[in-house]
Amino acid sequence: MTDQDYILFENYLLGDVSEEEKKTFEIRLEEDSKFKESFNTYKELSSYLEHTFENEDASKAFKANLQKISKVYFDKNKDSVKIEGSKNTYHFYKYAMAACVVLFLGIFMFNQFSNPSYADFAHYDTISLTVRGEQDALLKTAENAFNNKDFAKAEDAFSKLLKVDKDNSELKLYRAIANIELNHFETADALLFNLQEGQSVYKNKATWYLALSKLKQKQYAACLDILKTIPEDADNYKQVKNLINKLD
Amino acid sequence: MSEKKLHEDQKYIDGLLQNNSFIIQAIYDKFVPKVINYIKQNSGSVDEAQDIIQDTLLTIYNQASEKKLELTCPFDAYFFLLCKRKWLNKLKKSSNKEVTINEEVLYKDDEAQQLAFETDVFGEKQELFTEMFNKLGNACKELLTATFKIKSMEEVAASLGVTYAYARKKKSLCIGKLTELVQESPKFNLLNN
Repeated sequence: MTDQDYILFENYLLGDVSEEEKKTFEIRLEEDSKFKESFNTYKELSSYLEHTFENEDASKAFKANLQKISKVYFDKNKDSVKIEGSKNTYHFYKYAMAACVVLFLGIFMFNQFSNPSYADFAHYDTISLTVRGEQDALLKTAENAFNNKDFAKAEDAFSKLLKVDKDNSELKLYRAIANIELNHFETADALLFNLQEGQSVYKNKATWYLALSKLKQKQYAACLDILKTIPEDADNYKQVKNLINKLD
Repeated sequence: MSEKKLHEDQKYIDGLLQNNSFIIQAIYDKFVPKVINYIKQNSGSVDEAQDIIQDTLLTIYNQASEKKLELTCPFDAYFFLLCKRKWLNKLKKSSNKEVTINEEVLYKDDEAQQLAFETDVFGEKQELFTEMFNKLGNACKELLTATFKIKSMEEVAASLGVTYAYARKKKSLCIGKLTELVQESPKFNLLNN
């Protein structure tokens, strides 16, 4: 836009133009988009300047009042937020403390009153029956079945093997374990009693599993009595002691 | 807009315009908590909420006093959307990231969205105009200030020691200069489109 255009804008806005000038101006507004754009901005700025300076005092008064109300509102609000906040943390601590108490009580009760389970203590390694170089298919079957926790199949194999090898303590022990797993407690207990009475290296282990058999049958008193017969030099005495403590 | 029915909440706009403390107080009590919550949930603090709210009310006041603001929707929605726009704009500026306000497109027809949009653009323009006015030379600033404060061009001319014709011509050219500054700004083109 030229200087003349801006002077024209001003004259038009002030109404200081002749009828003909006005018509020419309006036709140009319709036809020249750039002219129209500039005029609209000019008009908008005039209105802005007029309002800003005319209204300066009222605007300042409004702003001051607004700031005052805002400050009062937010100061009050922040205070209440603080109070609420501290209240909340107080509640939080209260709940946290309550939760801790419940948790400790729970652990205490669990330790004191809940009974240990068979599964917690029945940890046996995989067995190896064929190390001695025997290539007995049935031994292999028993071994694999036991290690794969297919105790029914293992029991079947063990019973067959024991018919041939009647005094094999090792087989008796594993057969007993398989039977405990199968909940065939009578068979298991009979085998274990037998081992317990004997003098094999599996004596203590047999006693231990006898105790576990009672544990699985929830005969806690019987379990405890059996455990107490295990000598302190037994391999797994730590475990024995542990279970005694839980049951006692 | 004039055919549309004025909402009863126009009383809040009128109250702001009259600098009515009772109404301003009521706006704070009724409509501000929602805004504070929104800003707090969108990575802002209570202090930032305080600024945004004050700024929003000032923009509403300015629009109402300069252009007449006719509320055709509840004040609650209009005010909340306006604060939200201002807050998102602020986030956008401070993070230099594109913050897309998808709702804008979704609810473009909505009365409150439309009104909030208009007021927001009005506020942004005011900010831009003030910024550009300050870029003018001192002679122009003095003349324009005097022109709009004193109103009578004759008095202005006399106070500045120039002829009436010169003062009026100068006024046109100064607003012309301001027009150019504004039109050159990329922000103005964004706001006008």
